[in-house]
Amino acid sequence: MKGTYLGEFEELVLLTVGALHPQAYGVAIMDEIKEETGRSVNISAIHSALRRLDEKGFVRSEMGGATNERGGRRKRFFELTAFGKKALDEAQSVRMKLYNRIPDISIGQS
Amino acid sequence: MKHKQQITPPRWADWLLELYCKEEFIEEIQGDAHELFERRSEHSAFKAKARYVWDVLRFFRPQNIKTSKKLNSNFINMTRNNFKVAARVLWRQKVNTALNVFSISIGIACFILIGLYVKQETSFDNFHMEKDRIYRAWVKEVYADGRVFFNTHTPLPLGPTLAENIPEVEAIVTIGDNPTLVGRGDGRIADNFQIVTPNFFDYFDFEVLEGNKDKPLPNRSSVVISESYAKKYFGDKSPINEALPLQIDNETRDYIVSAVLEDTPLNSGIQYNILISDENNDLLYSPRMFNAWFSIIVETYAVLKEGVSPEHLSPKTKSMIKAQLGGMDPFDGAPVEDHYLVGFQPLQSIHLDPEVPVANYPVGNPQYVYILGAIGFLVLVIACINYATLSIGQSIKRAKEVGVRKVVGAQSSNLIWQYLSESLLIAILATFIGVLFTLWALPVFNQLAQTNLAFELNLETFTQLAGLTLAIGLLSGIYPSLILARFKLIKILKGSNLSAGKQLARKGMVTFQFLLTIFLISTTLIMKKQLNYLQSSELGYNYDAMVSVPLYSQPNSRGIGQMVSSAMENGKMLKSELSKHPNISDFGMGSHVFGTPGWWQLGFEASTGNYLQFDLLMVDPYYLDAFKIEMLEGVGFDPALDIHKTQGVILNQAAVEYFGFDNPIGKKLPGNDFGDHQIIGVAKDFNYESLRESVQPLVIVQNPIPILDGIMDTNSGDSVIPKLVFRYSGNSLAEVGMVLEKAWGGLFPGEELNFHFVEQNLQNQYENEARVNKIVTIATVLSILIASFGLLGLTILMVNTKVKEIGIRKVLGATPKTILGILLSQFTWQLVIAMLLSIPVTWYLMSQWLSDFAYRTAIGVDPFLLSAGLTMALVLIVIGFHAVRASKINPVKALRVE
Repeated sequence: MKGTYLGEFEELVLLTVGALHPQAYGVAIMDEIKEETGRSVNISAIHSALRRLDEKGFVRSEMGGATNERGGRRKRFFELTAFGKKALDEAQSVRMKLYNRIPDISIGQS
Repeated sequence: MKHKQQITPPRWADWLLELYCKEEFIEEIQGDAHELFERRSEHSAFKAKARYVWDVLRFFRPQNIKTSKKLNSNFINMTRNNFKVAARVLWRQKVNTALNVFSISIGIACFILIGLYVKQETSFDNFHMEKDRIYRAWVKEVYADGRVFFNTHTPLPLGPTLAENIPEVEAIVTIGDNPTLVGRGDGRIADNFQIVTPNFFDYFDFEVLEGNKDKPLPNRSSVVISESYAKKYFGDKSPINEALPLQIDNETRDYIVSAVLEDTPLNSGIQYNILISDENNDLLYSPRMFNAWFSIIVETYAVLKEGVSPEHLSPKTKSMIKAQLGGMDPFDGAPVEDHYLVGFQPLQSIHLDPEVPVANYPVGNPQYVYILGAIGFLVLVIACINYATLSIGQSIKRAKEVGVRKVVGAQSSNLIWQYLSESLLIAILATFIGVLFTLWALPVFNQLAQTNLAFELNLETFTQLAGLTLAIGLLSGIYPSLILARFKLIKILKGSNLSAGKQLARKGMVTFQFLLTIFLISTTLIMKKQLNYLQSSELGYNYDAMVSVPLYSQPNSRGIGQMVSSAMENGKMLKSELSKHPNISDFGMGSHVFGTPGWWQLGFEASTGNYLQFDLLMVDPYYLDAFKIEMLEGVGFDPALDIHKTQGVILNQAAVEYFGFDNPIGKKLPGNDFGDHQIIGVAKDFNYESLRESVQPLVIVQNPIPILDGIMDTNSGDSVIPKLVFRYSGNSLAEVGMVLEKAWGGLFPGEELNFHFVEQNLQNQYENEARVNKIVTIATVLSILIASFGLLGLTILMVNTKVKEIGIRKVLGATPKTILGILLSQFTWQLVIAMLLSIPVTWYLMSQWLSDFAYRTAIGVDPFLLSAGLTMALVLIVIGFHAVRASKINPVKALRVE
C-alpha cells in the first residue's frame, strides 16, 4: 500500500516521538536524535519527517500552551497513534525475527 | 543579559519565512527556529544568524510552501483538474491516443521540415542590420518598337552618378562578378571573384573572422577570402598577408590576403569566395566603359538615408539621366529619360521576386515556396482532422460523463475547456515527439531534397513551437468540444439518439481529408509525369553519352576573336589525342553546349526598321553531325568548303519563321550591316535551352564576324569560348575521366580539367522541379500514413459500436465479405465524393503550374485513376484488416456484452 512504508529516518523519528512522550516537539526530537545516535540533523528534516508520519497516520499532534520562550510561539507536540505503535512493533518484530535467525556460531572469530 | 536579549534573527530571513510558509505551520517552524537561534546565539551571534538563515532556506520545501491565493483560484484548480482528467481519459483509450499523437506528430514533423525550407527561402538577406535601407538599382530601357532591356546588372557610371546627384543616397556599393584563374603555373583553378567597393563591408554584415576588421580591403592589391576558400587554398596555416595570385585581364597578379570572411550564410543572396577592391576596375574595363550607359556590368546597391522611400526618387533619377545622357533618342526623337529608367528593388525581395531579372547570383522561385508551404500546412490539417473525427466518434461514449458533469453544475464553457485540455495534451505530446522525429529525419530530408537546412532549438523556435502546439490543440479540439458541450442534458439522460446532427460534419471532415490525400497523390503523380516528360522528350538531337569539355585559350590571346581561335587550336590538339581511343567518336566544337543556359543573344535593326533578336551558335563543321541534328533544307557545313567556313549560315526553323523567309536558301539575314554571308541550310528545330521556353530563333555559323558586324546588342550568360564535345561509347564512365585526364595532362599541364556529361546538364536544368517533386512526394507519403491512421481509428470505433450488429448478423449467417461490405459502406460515399471533387481542384492547380513550361505533358486521366485506385486500396486494406478481425470474433462473446 502506498504511503504506509516506514523509512529508516522516519522510524528513528517515530521511535523518538514515542520515547519523548509527552514532550516530543521539533527541537527536542532533534536533540534527542543527536544525543542517542550522534547524527546531526537539520530541523527542517525533522519537520518534514513528522509531517509525513502525520499524513500516514503514525503520529498525531496538538499545539501546546503559550510560554515565554521562543518569542511566545507555541510548540507542536507529537504523540504516537496506535497505528504508529503497531508499525513500530511490526518493524521491531521483523528485525528480531531475522536477528534471532543469525546462527549462534561465533561471528567475527574464526 | 540585556545585551544578549537584543540579538534577534535577521529580520529579512523571518520575513522570507513568513512570505513562503503555510500559515498553519509558521508558528511551530518559526518557534523551533527561534529556539535553536537563541541557544546558538549564546556562543556566537554571527554563526547563529548564519545558521538561522540556513534553516529558513532549508524549510523551503514543497510541503511547507503556501499555495498562493492567486494560484488557488478556481480557474487554476479547474485547469489542473481538467488536465488530470484529460490524462486519465487519454491513458484509458490507449490505441486512440497513440494514433492521434502519432499522426499529429508526423504532421508536425512534416510541417517543421517544410517550414524550415520555406523559412530559409523567405529569410534571404534579412541578417543585414541595414537591410531596410539597402536597395538594388535596376535599369530599364523601353523603346517604342517594343524592345525592352530590363537589367539588374547596371552600367559602371550609375553608382557614382547616383551618389553625386541624389542627396537621399547615403552610399553606393557595387558588386561585380568575374571569372578568373587562381594560382600560377600548374594547377590553376577556375573560380569567380567579386569586385566590390570597399564600403561593401560597412553595409553588408558578413563577419570578418581574421585580419583587418576595420578596413578589410585597405588597398587595391588586397584580397578578402572566405573561410572555406582559405582552407582550400592555404590549408591550415593562417592566410593573412599571404599572396593569392589571380589572373585578371590575362595577367596574373599577386593579391595580399588582408582578411578572412565567414562563409556565405545559407540565406545570403550575395555569394562570394574571393573579393577585391573596385580600384581594380581599370584592369578589367577600358576607360570608355566608365562612361558607358548602355553596357551593363555590375550590381549597384544604394543605401538610402533613414526614412527615404525609393518611389520618391524617380523624378530625381529622371532628371539625373537627362543631365547625363541628354537630348532626344536617336531613333524616335522622344526624350531619353522616358526610355531609360532607373529604379530600386529592396534587398530582401531580391531572392523571391520573379518580376525583376537575375544578375550575379541565382534566386529562388516564389511559386515553389508557396506550393510547399501550402502542402506542409495541408498535411498538418489532415492530422488535425484525424483528431477531430476520432474525438467526435468517441463523443457518444462520453455523453454520460457530460450529462453527469452538467447535472452537478458544469457550464458549457467548463466542458469546452475540459475537452480542449485533452486536445492540448495530445498536441503537447505530439509536438515533443514531432520535434524528435524532425531531428531524426532532417539529415534524410536534406539528402533526399538536396537542401541544406538546419534546425536549431533556440528560444525563437521554442516560442514558435509553443504557438504551434497551442494552435493545433485549440483548432483540432474546438469542434469536438463544442459538440460535446452542446449535448442536451435531457436527451443524454433519457438515452436517446445523439448522433443525428454531427454526422454530417464528421462525414464532411472525412471527405475533406480524403480529398486532400487524393489531391496530394495526384499532384505528385502529375509533377512526376511532367518531369519524366521533360527528361525523356525528344529534344531534336542525340545527347547519349556526349561529354563536353570547356577549352582554354592561350593566356596571351587578346580579344574575343583571338581567344576563340586559340581555344579552337587547343581543341584540335585535344581531339587528335583523344581520337586515338577506340571508344571515343563524334567530335565537335561549339560556343555553347546543350543543357547550359545563357546562349549568346544578339539583336539588330532589320531593314524594315524592326528590332529583331536571335541566338548565335558558333561551331566547327562537325558539331551538328556529332549531335545528329537533322537538316530540313539545304546542306550542313562541309569541312572541305572554305566558303562554308567563312560565309555559311544555318538557321533553325524558328529563325526561318521569325525572319519571315519563304525560301531561305541562298538568302541573307534581313539586316543592312551584316558582312558577307549566305544561308546554306535550315536545321530542324531542336530544344537547345530548357523546355520551359519554346525554341528561339537560332543562327549557326562557323565564322561569327559577318554576323557580329551587323548587330546592335549582344548578351551572353555563358562563356562563348568553345567547348569540345565527343561521344563515349564505352561502358565504364570512370574511363572517360582517366582518358581525358591523360590527354589533357599531356597537352595543358597548367590548366584545370572540367568535363560534364550533356545528359547530366540537361537533367540539372530541372533540378528545382525535381527537388520540389521530392519534397511533395515525402509530404504525400506522410499524408497517406496520417490518413490511414485516421481511417484505422475510425474503423476501430465503428467496429466497437457495431459489435452487436456484427454478432447478430453472424448468427444469421453473414460471411466476412458481408461484414466488410457493411464497414466499407460507411466510407464509400465519402470516398467517391472526395475523388470527384479532387479532380477539378487538381486539374486547375496543376494546369497553373504546367503553364510555366512551353513543353508540357497532358495531365490525362491516369494520375487521377492511379490516385483513386491507391486511395481505394488503402481504404480496403485498413478496413479489410479490421473486418476480418471483427468477423472472427465469436458472436456469443459479442452478444453477451452488455
